[in-house]
Amino acid sequence: MPPTFNDNCITCFKCVEICPTDILQKGEKKPVVAYPEECWHCGACMMDCPTKAIRINLPLWLRPLTKRVKK
Amino acid sequence: MTKNASTDVLVIGGGLAGCMAAINAADQGVEVTILEKSHIERSGAAGTGNDHFWYWDPEIHPKFGWTIADMVRDISFDGEYGKTKGGLIDQELCEIVAKGSMDAVKKLESWGIQFKYDKIYPWNLQYESPKGEKKYRIVPQFQSEWDTLNYDGRDIKKRLTEQCVKRNIQIFNRLAATSLLTKDNRVVGAAGIDMRTGEFYVFKAKVVVLATGMDQSRLFMAPSGNWFNQQSPPTVTGDGEAMALRAGAEVFILQAGKTSNAGFQYFKNLYRSSGIATTCYPAGKYVNSEGEVMIKHPAVREPLRKKRENVEKSISEGKTPFYLDFTDATEEEIAYAEWSYGNEGLCWVILEIMKDLGLDFRKDAFELALEPTGRLTDGFLALWVDTDLSTNLPGLYACSPVQFAGEVAAPTAVVLGWRSGEKAAKYAQKTTDPLLDDKQIINELERTTSPLKNDDGFTWQEANLELNNIMDKYKRYIAGFNSPGIKDEISVNGINTCLDQLSQLKSAKLKAKNPHELVRCNEVMNLIDVATIMVRASIEPEQYENDVWFIGKMDKKQPKFKKIPIKIKYPSKEAK
Repeated sequence: MPPTFNDNCITCFKCVEICPTDILQKGEKKPVVAYPEECWHCGACMMDCPTKAIRINLPLWLRPLTKRVKK
Repeated sequence: MTKNASTDVLVIGGGLAGCMAAINAADQGVEVTILEKSHIERSGAAGTGNDHFWYWDPEIHPKFGWTIADMVRDISFDGEYGKTKGGLIDQELCEIVAKGSMDAVKKLESWGIQFKYDKIYPWNLQYESPKGEKKYRIVPQFQSEWDTLNYDGRDIKKRLTEQCVKRNIQIFNRLAATSLLTKDNRVVGAAGIDMRTGEFYVFKAKVVVLATGMDQSRLFMAPSGNWFNQQSPPTVTGDGEAMALRAGAEVFILQAGKTSNAGFQYFKNLYRSSGIATTCYPAGKYVNSEGEVMIKHPAVREPLRKKRENVEKSISEGKTPFYLDFTDATEEEIAYAEWSYGNEGLCWVILEIMKDLGLDFRKDAFELALEPTGRLTDGFLALWVDTDLSTNLPGLYACSPVQFAGEVAAPTAVVLGWRSGEKAAKYAQKTTDPLLDDKQIINELERTTSPLKNDDGFTWQEANLELNNIMDKYKRYIAGFNSPGIKDEISVNGINTCLDQLSQLKSAKLKAKNPHELVRCNEVMNLIDVATIMVRASIEPEQYENDVWFIGKMDKKQPKFKKIPIKIKYPSKEAK
């Protein structure tokens, strides 16, 4: 569930500070997603991460539905 | 454990409107405090950016024959928005926004937000400017004419935060206001809960400005089944409206009903993708399932309305779903749309997610949520203010939510926020020191923190789902069950059942394990109060006469509604 953190995380916890819906908490090595179901998928955490340690994963049922028009 | 603070001007909500209110209040020389439920750097509808800002430019628009009166008329009646919400615009407030929009842009520019560029594109408004001067990128997005700026607004909240800090404005992040404090009918401050520490705060203030945002998230069922997947910030849960109602403020109510126009704003399922389907100018177009172009420039509102017959025809022929299709656009057009998305709050992250999913505008068409004519709409409630942004309660101003002043968009928040800050500061300068009611504070502490003591109560999610069930029933009663577009007489019995159930829900005990959950519980409690007034209002007989426009005043026992005729300063051109 969103967001996910990779090993680039320097535990500055800027994401914990600014998360609009307050879903993140400080963890030992990385932030912890305490309330995954309250994620707005707004990307504020990813936007402000100084080390590009965050990606936002949309749950399967919220992903864009597409069709490939051009190969 | 209660903490106390005092200030001259207390701004509740630190989004675009709240920041502008706070900055201008501080510029009048008074002490200002902001209460922000999220974090001010990324909070509100523009938290992760805004790329479109409608405005009226005295240097440009008169040359194209586009006057402020045209703009107000267009927003009220003749343009896309006017057609959808016909006659619901408060034209006086809308005119204030239009007149103040140029100054607002200049202020934002002076704070480091880029609006002017060396390069403008063939699809931008071509206009003369003095030699060598950079130009605005103007597109015809919102109204019938070219009056919307595309700009680098991704960090607009960071720039506003800097201006607040520079003025020594006190900012309380994670502070969820729960109650307006009153004494002798005057608003004298607010109480609230720190969402992380659980501390209860009491703020004494000479004047309060409500800037909590224009929505009641989670009041109605979420179309996708996920409350937090939606256009408005999920944290905008009617807190300001509920606090104001409990204090006795007059409100504006837009009833639930049925849409009269087909519209498309979102990717299928991803309801937080608003903007992606309407900010695609000039590259995106709407196609049906056969690949036939229904709308060439969906971002341009006027053609969208005129082409609705194409949309309805495709629906009737079964050529659905519909797609947002960039695949024939030029590289330059796609690059422009991606730049624009990169600055628009809910779109930047979609570009990033697309990379992870291997999706590309050059190859893939994106399915749109189908919103045909006759779809049931949700209801909406806002504060009723005069042109000074003053409510009927002494000591209470509001800049968002207020009755429709234009589109619910950045210019409204910025201009009305700015104006409310000045007016509130002037009120603070001439008023007496406020006195608090200690008994009221004890009651509010008990009311708002009781879920922490209840081990046997319901979770906020349970209560919220039950609220959604009741409001879904209300929506169907008010909109009628018949064919699209026809408004039945509502069932008074049905509405009364909803009221009974709301009253039972209000008395249900809620439980919270921690301060985060406690604030979610308070949000639901606020939504129940908003719901109650909205549902009660629908059985006032006056409601039938003019569809959806009326205001009401909360009374402890029985609300009394007074219909206010809309003042029309600029009548519809098309109606002539």
